[in-house]
Amino acid sequence: MAAHDNVKQFSINNDALAMIARAREEGIETVWDRLAAQQPQCGYCAMGVSCRNCSMGPCRVDPFGDGPQKGVCGADADIIVARNLGRTIAAGASAHSDHGRDILEVFAELAKGESSGYELRDETKLRSLAGEWGIETDGRPLDEIARELADAMMEEYGTSKGHLSFADRVPAARSELWGKLGIAPRGIDRENVEMLHRTHMGVDNDYVNTLLHGLRTSLSDGWGGSMIATELSDVMFGTPQPTASRINLGTLKEEYVNIALHGHNPVLSDVILQAADDPELVALAQEKGAAGINLVGLCCTGNELQMRKGIPMAGNHLMQELVLLTGALDAMVVDYQCIMPSVTDVAKCFHTEVISTADKAKFAGATHISFDPKRGLEIAKEIIGRGIEAYGNRNPERVRIPEGTVEMMAGFSVEAILGALGGTPEPLVEAIKDGRIRGAAAVVGCNNPKIRQDHGHVTLAKRLIENDILVLVTGCSAVANGKAGQMMPEAAEMAGPGLKAVCKALGIPPVLHMGSCVDNTRVLALAAALGNYLGVDIAQLPLAGAAPEWYSEKAVSIGAYVVASGIYTVLGVQPAIFGSPNVVNLLAEGLEDVVGAKFAVEADPEKAALLIRRHIEHKRAGLGLPHLEDAEIGAAA
Amino acid sequence: MKTVFINPERCIGCRQCEFACAVAHSRSRDSATAIGERPAPHTRIHVLPGPAFNTSFPSRCRHCDPAPCVDVCPTGAMGRDEAEEVVLVDPERCITCAMCAMVCPFDAVDFHVHGNGAPARLVATKCDGCIDRIREGREPACVETCKVGALVYGELNDLIAAGRATQASAMLSAAATAATLPAPAGVTGWRAWGREAAHVNREVSHGRS
Repeated sequence: MAAHDNVKQFSINNDALAMIARAREEGIETVWDRLAAQQPQCGYCAMGVSCRNCSMGPCRVDPFGDGPQKGVCGADADIIVARNLGRTIAAGASAHSDHGRDILEVFAELAKGESSGYELRDETKLRSLAGEWGIETDGRPLDEIARELADAMMEEYGTSKGHLSFADRVPAARSELWGKLGIAPRGIDRENVEMLHRTHMGVDNDYVNTLLHGLRTSLSDGWGGSMIATELSDVMFGTPQPTASRINLGTLKEEYVNIALHGHNPVLSDVILQAADDPELVALAQEKGAAGINLVGLCCTGNELQMRKGIPMAGNHLMQELVLLTGALDAMVVDYQCIMPSVTDVAKCFHTEVISTADKAKFAGATHISFDPKRGLEIAKEIIGRGIEAYGNRNPERVRIPEGTVEMMAGFSVEAILGALGGTPEPLVEAIKDGRIRGAAAVVGCNNPKIRQDHGHVTLAKRLIENDILVLVTGCSAVANGKAGQMMPEAAEMAGPGLKAVCKALGIPPVLHMGSCVDNTRVLALAAALGNYLGVDIAQLPLAGAAPEWYSEKAVSIGAYVVASGIYTVLGVQPAIFGSPNVVNLLAEGLEDVVGAKFAVEADPEKAALLIRRHIEHKRAGLGLPHLEDAEIGAAA
Repeated sequence: MKTVFINPERCIGCRQCEFACAVAHSRSRDSATAIGERPAPHTRIHVLPGPAFNTSFPSRCRHCDPAPCVDVCPTGAMGRDEAEEVVLVDPERCITCAMCAMVCPFDAVDFHVHGNGAPARLVATKCDGCIDRIREGREPACVETCKVGALVYGELNDLIAAGRATQASAMLSAAATAATLPAPAGVTGWRAWGREAAHVNREVSHGRS
């Protein structure tokens, strides 16, 4: 499209622009070409008013009001939009929760002593989780506690228990509200299956009822599947602590065997890290003429490794094709989620071997090595071996690695943040009370080629810290802010005077890396802990969420559970709901009176920052804290 | 004069007109089998993106009179059906010189190989106004499939008059722009996001930020 003629519109990052230019030069198709080829995109679908849930259809509703206003079954725009949004939430929640189940299954095998390459690295966390779940820990061996915890967590996916244990973390007021509204999640798989049932023709034909269940479905993700993924990953791979790392395509090293770990699940990548240190494999790499083996991360698998091990980060979602364009990547090892089918096409233009590892996520053109935790380390060695073989096929003349990396700090788990505060939220609460810190905002979510890459994440975070709002980042947003240099303690200089003083005193950056996208549960846990500490509901706290560049169904589930947990959320990309003004009004206004929080849509991060600042000052006023009036902040459009 | 009138502010870019056009010009005229036909049927209407996300324009032959394509065609392959007031191609006479495409103000002429007994070579291909359907008293396929009123069929002056009434109030309002043409809140919100996203992408890449 015309708006895309200037490639500078694609990204704010020089490494990305250099590789996009190479792609153009060599006629290699990337995501931006495909977005342009898809223009114009279907307005029925973009506004959520097309339904293909049954074969009396497909149907669409004319959003102008003159053409058909009902599908063949009689569903109007409200019902169709609610059905579609409900299914989107269920898909996102299912993705996260199935990821959680995979972690849980490896944890269960580890507890039974049947896995290879895994250990219980955070005993303290295991004991504290077991305590939280009412499992006796005194005088019992760790593996026995782990087995009982694994069994108990598996119950969360089922029907018989009827409530989620992690949901007990929220302040009492929130719990009561969920109970009153009938949206307390009962079981992880149950809420997702029920959403598919409700959105079948002729079941739930009340859009408000469908959307309330959408919130319950998302809560089964945030306080269920995703939270299990986060907590058990910490137990098995270590709870993240502040860790120095580097970021950019420059993390690839010309003289090394370069292997990128891409996707979301740390189960495989953790053993790959161990395998990369194997002396025999290092010797093999050297035999082939390489200086050694260099592992880099991509997307959330990268986040998981970076925050625990400091493994350098090559980039976020929109870098997955561009990293191949360096000509220096020998193997891309993928697990699942957000891995574009196009990576194998781009890889064909180079020597890179794409290795898929999850039986539920296969790619035409990739080598599939089925991952089995019982033989974890052995499989990891095989994968590294293939990367070394591929290095032998690399054409040095085609290597073009953009120069330069940026330093960043990752690994701010809730435990690490509380540790930095001296073990209690009190210093943070005091700073919020006296106004040095106005509040906190979670800036999370993906990249989307419709938004200039990283512009939304970086600009929003910059404006918030300038105005003394602590920023918490996960997923692609963490990568974006790292690249922008906003995640080093020195970045305190970019913050407003209050936040700057607090960051300097604690030696932390003003933008804190809280992990991968399943780790948005760390934001929930922190919000719940603050609410409990102050004896107020989460919705009363000066907190906000934002997803400036979101694209995925998982992000919709995240947005829904954040709002359902009481946190106002600004989306940078519009969801497919505009065909129903009733649904728009409910999500952007009415929800405030239901769950104490609502959504806003704002493409311009400058304006999104104003919306969040105003919201945070309103919450401060509600708590009787010193606050600014709207007029002092400036009008958001 | 009967025509297909375009209301660009109504087009939401679904491209269903393109699909319906290709099916209407396939051998089977059935959507399920048309997609497997070889040579493949082609659309004669093209939905093009506008300057911002969420804007689009369905472009098709305007069946001009006098028509530049008819005037320049050296073999008389381009001609006018006076009864139905449409410009048609005679594929047997077409010599693929592409003069018609060069002079067309709307770039509405493509070149394709067709089935349907046409010569097995590239020939000028353009909207035929769905003349077979019109003769049966039906609407053109693109109009029939368009549920948002971006494509409407009827007497030219009637269609203009219908639009005039709604346009007048919008144009006379203080800040009249195409964007202020009456549309429901949902569509307005959808378009507003597209405009803003395009604006932010353009502006920041020119040095702001």
